[in-house]
Amino acid sequence: MIRSLGDVSRLAKEKGPKRLAVLAPEDEEFMLAVKRSWEAGCIEPVLIGDTEKMARVAEKVGFDISRFEKIVKNDRQDISDLGIGMLFSGELSIVSKGQIPTSYIYRSIIRAEAKAGSGMTVSVMSLWEIPGVDHLVAFTDSGVNIRPDFKTKAEILKNAVFLCHLLGYKRPRIAVLSGQREFAGVLPSYRDYESLKQAAASGSLGECEIIDAASISEIFLGAGGRLEDYGKIDLMKTPHIFLVPCLDTGNIICKLDLFLDVTRCSLAVTSRGAVCIPARSDLSDSIVGQLAMGVVVADRMKEVI
Amino acid sequence: MIGTFMQIVEKAKEGGAKKRAAIPLLKEQDLNLLQRLAEEGFIVPLLIGNAKETEIIVGKAPLASLEYEIVDVKDSAEALRTAVAFTREGRADILMQGGVDQKSFMGAVLKKETGLMKGKLASYVSVLQAQKSERLILVTDTFVNDMPGIVEKQIIIENALVLAGILGMKEPKIAAIAAIEQVNPNIQSTVDAAVLSKMSERKQFGKAIIEGPLDMDCALSRVAAARKGIESIVTGNVDVYVVPEIETGYLLVQALVFFGRMKTAGILLGTAKPVIPNMPFISDENRVVELALAALISRREADNA
Repeated sequence: MIRSLGDVSRLAKEKGPKRLAVLAPEDEEFMLAVKRSWEAGCIEPVLIGDTEKMARVAEKVGFDISRFEKIVKNDRQDISDLGIGMLFSGELSIVSKGQIPTSYIYRSIIRAEAKAGSGMTVSVMSLWEIPGVDHLVAFTDSGVNIRPDFKTKAEILKNAVFLCHLLGYKRPRIAVLSGQREFAGVLPSYRDYESLKQAAASGSLGECEIIDAASISEIFLGAGGRLEDYGKIDLMKTPHIFLVPCLDTGNIICKLDLFLDVTRCSLAVTSRGAVCIPARSDLSDSIVGQLAMGVVVADRMKEVI
Repeated sequence: MIGTFMQIVEKAKEGGAKKRAAIPLLKEQDLNLLQRLAEEGFIVPLLIGNAKETEIIVGKAPLASLEYEIVDVKDSAEALRTAVAFTREGRADILMQGGVDQKSFMGAVLKKETGLMKGKLASYVSVLQAQKSERLILVTDTFVNDMPGIVEKQIIIENALVLAGILGMKEPKIAAIAAIEQVNPNIQSTVDAAVLSKMSERKQFGKAIIEGPLDMDCALSRVAAARKGIESIVTGNVDVYVVPEIETGYLLVQALVFFGRMKTAGILLGTAKPVIPNMPFISDENRVVELALAALISRREADNA
């Protein structure tokens, strides 16, 4: 079972190198991350983007990219379509976003899933490593679905449960979050929480458990509990998955890694492999970790697809 | 500028008459709070409930140094009615939730004719301090309004600016946060944020500077924002975070408390007098800070009057 991003990093070195398409590594931090991941034996990069920009940043970070396959594309959507197309055709096992807006990648994945007839809903999982918690914690969907309804949330959860199984969490615990307060009317997210609990109990979401708590406070304090002492917060109660009510909530909370003592890595699991989704603002340390996660997930996916 | 919770309490203790806080239905679990109030000495509690029962509860704690009054009423409904009426009529300066359930309490406060509404909208501001930091941040609205539109968000910001002013934030830097930093017509929060930002540019919020939409990494880090091409005095230096809707606000604060161990307090604004609802994730120690905030607001309003 993977307990930390350190485990992920170690496994990526063991299981690599994997062929990975990097979409527009036209920024020093991304190129540096590619360099470090290659040097660590995790990846064999295929670089797709603007040749001049890639060459310029590679030179800046002291990376000889002459030995790698390079595909020249300038249009952002073309770059994305090509990389995702290579993933779906089996030419490579991982794709990583570079300096390119995420929406292009999601569009490519959605088109590719539709073409493949997989029926898979695209969603993003942002994984946190939290000191004091003995497993990684996924926030989902932090990238694609703006205001998912019950049906979409069920699909998002299936993706997250699948990822958790890949990471070795046999029966992941899930918190379906809601902004429900006692005095206000019932929010759709709270109704979804109740319905998803039934769905999980019936087994339709895969091997998992939805816990009896719809807020972070309830998880740690219980219903009707009160915070007495910060020292008594038991982070071991943290579930494996937080299903967030909407995109704003997911994306805003998952990026608290810049504020809190947590480390984040984000990826989308498609029906054909992993797509690493580092933020365009992430620095190379973070991107290296996210590429490692892509390698490990790709390795484990090949056993199940 | 006030930078810590301790400084808020110290400021409340500086001069000025003690403020009277109406507390309906005192519960035994509130004794810790009363003990702290006895130590700090800037509040006179008006304990509204069955006199005999209240005296028994108060008798369990050494409150000899605490000046307090008991107002005898028949039942819980009368306790709430009396507490709200006392506050509205000026016999109390601050209203606390006490032992009343949240639904009844908020219903009574927000009721148009008999409640405590001053304008059209009340909103809740969370005040947070990181454990090792000497800087306060405000997050709003984190409790009241489910899906505020532009009009409501304008009032929510104006309410928060009252508190920002009391805390000494002279030119508050406000981040209108959303899932992404680009304006996407499909994501309402980004459109709202852009409008608020433009309003601020035209000085519609006085000296406050609003930047938006900002995703959380851009809000938290100037380096991250620069990597996304955003240059602003607000990035990496935010005083006030305006959240898109309640799901994000309510859960964001909880994430900061439980995963960031951040001290938090909060207060309802936009009411005729400061109101303090109970939040399970606010410790007794920090509830004293809420009363200190309320006392400072009350003092400011008295000065303005």
